[in-house]
Amino acid sequence: MSEKLQGIINKQRKKEEATSSIDEVVQLVGFIVGDEEYTVPILSIQEIIKPIESTRVPQTPPYVLGVFNLRGSVIPLIDLRIKFGIEPQPATPETRFIVMKNKEEIAGFVIDRLTEAIRLNVRDIDPAPETSLQEKTFIDGVGKQQDRILTILKVDRLLERDF
Amino acid sequence: MDEFQEILQDFLVESFELIEQLDQDLTLLETQPDDLELLNRIFRVAHTIKGASSFLNFDVLTHLTHHMEDVLNKARHNELKMTPEVLDVVLPSIDMMKNILHTIRDSGTDNGYDVSDMVKRLDAVSNGDTIPEVSPAKSVAPAKAAPQVVEEPVAAEDEIDYENLTEAEVEAEIARLLAKRQAEDKAKREAKKSEAPAPKKVEKPVESAKVQATFADYDNAPAEPVKSSAPAKGAPAPAAAAAQSQSAAVEQTIRVDVKRLDHLMNLIGELVLGKNRLIKINDDVEERYEGEEFLEELNQVVSIVSLVTTDLQIAVMKTRMLPIGKVFNKFPRMIRDLSRELNKKIELVISGEETELDKSIVEEIGDPLVHIIRNSCDHGIEDFETRKLKGKPETGIIELKAYNEGNHIVISIADDGKGLNTEMLKQKAMEKGVISEHEADNMSEKEAFGLIFRPGFSTAAQVTSVSGRGVGMDVVKTNIEKLNGIIDIDSVVNEGTTMKLKIPLTLAIIQALLVGVQEEFYAIPLASVLETVRITKDEITSVENRSVMRLRDEVLPLVHLVDIFEVERVFDTGEHAYVVILGLAESKIGVIVDSLVGQEEIVIKSLGEYLKGMEGIAGATIRGDGGVTLIVDVAAIMQMAKSISTKSMTSTKASVVKAKNSPSDYHVLIVDDSKTDRTIMRKSLEPLGITLSEANDGLEALNILKAGEKQFDAVLIDIEMPRMDGYTLASEIKKYSKFKNLPLIAVTSRSGKSDRMRGVESGMVEYVTKPYSPEYLLNVVKRNIKLNMERTA
Repeated sequence: MSEKLQGIINKQRKKEEATSSIDEVVQLVGFIVGDEEYTVPILSIQEIIKPIESTRVPQTPPYVLGVFNLRGSVIPLIDLRIKFGIEPQPATPETRFIVMKNKEEIAGFVIDRLTEAIRLNVRDIDPAPETSLQEKTFIDGVGKQQDRILTILKVDRLLERDF
Repeated sequence: MDEFQEILQDFLVESFELIEQLDQDLTLLETQPDDLELLNRIFRVAHTIKGASSFLNFDVLTHLTHHMEDVLNKARHNELKMTPEVLDVVLPSIDMMKNILHTIRDSGTDNGYDVSDMVKRLDAVSNGDTIPEVSPAKSVAPAKAAPQVVEEPVAAEDEIDYENLTEAEVEAEIARLLAKRQAEDKAKREAKKSEAPAPKKVEKPVESAKVQATFADYDNAPAEPVKSSAPAKGAPAPAAAAAQSQSAAVEQTIRVDVKRLDHLMNLIGELVLGKNRLIKINDDVEERYEGEEFLEELNQVVSIVSLVTTDLQIAVMKTRMLPIGKVFNKFPRMIRDLSRELNKKIELVISGEETELDKSIVEEIGDPLVHIIRNSCDHGIEDFETRKLKGKPETGIIELKAYNEGNHIVISIADDGKGLNTEMLKQKAMEKGVISEHEADNMSEKEAFGLIFRPGFSTAAQVTSVSGRGVGMDVVKTNIEKLNGIIDIDSVVNEGTTMKLKIPLTLAIIQALLVGVQEEFYAIPLASVLETVRITKDEITSVENRSVMRLRDEVLPLVHLVDIFEVERVFDTGEHAYVVILGLAESKIGVIVDSLVGQEEIVIKSLGEYLKGMEGIAGATIRGDGGVTLIVDVAAIMQMAKSISTKSMTSTKASVVKAKNSPSDYHVLIVDDSKTDRTIMRKSLEPLGITLSEANDGLEALNILKAGEKQFDAVLIDIEMPRMDGYTLASEIKKYSKFKNLPLIAVTSRSGKSDRMRGVESGMVEYVTKPYSPEYLLNVVKRNIKLNMERTA
């Protein structure tokens, strides 16, 4: 009996070990802004919604489109195209708002379209290229996946007010 | 350890509550030194604190309170008279006790206090000035004045050693004494009643009578005339009644963490928003399914929900309400200290202290009141020689009054001092460079009074420790502004000054006026809106580069909301505009808006970390339609208005409407589901040389218009179309205020009269029936887009 129990415990332990090695994998969500694909960690995303109406807030930079109502909460809306210096474009059927969260800070970001959820091994992530190593970079790191390169964004930096 | 902490917390909460009452009692004691019940109350506080602090090992505090208790106990037994000299020792000792309690609250220990001096003084008072015991025989003179009658039995029981009593025994002893005293008083009063009601000697008529009277006004407090003529608060019968009802009430209350109430308030806020949405949806449904039976049922449900929500909101608000007396309580003591310090005779008359306010406001209102009252004492009330010369009574009176007025509470602080001299105020302000000579000349009386709130302004000839440092009144203004309150000053030279603070009852859920500017909406807290007026543009005049308007006998500075919030100018607003007149603290301003939408109950939500502190925006709220509307920060826009000159206000149209030089600058949209019809229209209009666009149906047309890439001068609409028909399209278009003046022309084969009527209802200006001649259509379009061939030719 106790042997059997021991066996089960051992099995579970093995399982735990297995999952902890999976922890080395980062899950990312990919999306397109302009011509490039960016990713953010899936855990920093609260939800992804279709575009809804927003209200302009005066005295904000152009990339702050305003605020919108997310089930009773008033949340700022930021256009990543303008923020990244790309010509803004009207909404298409593929446009989405990604609501990202970092502790107390929360904001919605307008993106052109979603691509996919990506699992990436931590080993395959390199720090941001040196040219973008300045203080104000939005890039957290660069992920390599087979034939393509993924730009991982710093969510806390995106949610930081810089005006 | 946790248990100890818990006890300590309870101890502190209890102690601070006791102390609050104590201050008031002590000041009252000065005027009624013989009031046994008062003394008992004070003694009990000292005793309770002593008992608890010795249990909790706060030795310093125990030591101090022990000696205080000695003095008070003697006073209680009439061995010691409560002369002002004695009080001058007792009051500071209570201050010291308070300080120690504060230290305990902050640091958890009472170390570092040297109470030996104070103890010595207390002992000196208690030993040195001991008044020989009144022998019972002497005072038993049946027809004698009340206090002496009381002395007898109490004095007879002096042998009880209070030091050795337990808490319970002391309580019992007090209760016994109280009962005794009550019985005597009752007998006394009955005796008095039976006598001819001789004019009573009233020691402190103003305060006690007024307090009682207003009590009677406000609620049904048992204050019959007979009772109110009995010696003030010490009157045992009402006090006993109150005590009885209190003891009953005490068991009915529970302490609730304020955080829970805040949470509850937030939930109610959400519910109010939900209610607003429900009402909006109900209205829409009503419009759409007029006459349907289920509507009535829906209506009923909606009204019940909204009724209950409102009641619930009020109920929860009430749980957060505190009587303003909590703040008022500390002022009698303050006035006493101030009048000694300033060597003036000042009396404070308080009424309406039971008026209730939201807890958060009660916390904020204390400081401004302190400053105002200090100011009244220092600058308002003259010293008594001056008062004599002016033929006023020697004692100056400051009246502190609170009452409800609609959704507001008004706190008025009136003194009968020297009043505000506008000329002197202006002079001072000019000297200090606060205003220019020109400004001074144009100032109204109220504006001149408002000068006292300017930072760096002080009328005191010399700086005293009380006021005159030029910070106080500035603080008043900022604090009242924070509460969305209004300050109104009235003053007559040599008669006195009255300051009225008008404060909204609660902060979380407010009434707001919704206004429209161009295509945006803003909510203005109704508490700050004084009135709204409709004006024509030529009523606006310009003075020193600022827009102003005349409103009755006042000149009002004006500012356009468009300029403050840099709203995009999409359409011209025509000749008329609305002015919302805002009042905050002591200043007024007119804000020009394009339309008034209405009044709505809104819940203030923050804009969050990312956008917090945006100038001019106090927060946001969610409207019935689910959209977000920003709430105007009235204090901030008053500031912002100062930096906006009139120039930007006049440069309107030119940039909006581009000059049209050739016919091709005119743009007309054709909406028809039939390709053939569109081609016929296109061919008919070609001779004009205008630019044409086409849409397949209503929905497509609406999207083209909404995208706003092209500016259209007219739209030709077919009625019968898939997806969205012509009528719907027209009414949808007219929902946008920027398309208010866009001509919509129906082009249809429906020629019935009712069809035409519907066309007009949905906002079409012309109705062209198929078939039509090309010239006819051409002329209709030409007329509507005001194309002038000759000028362009």
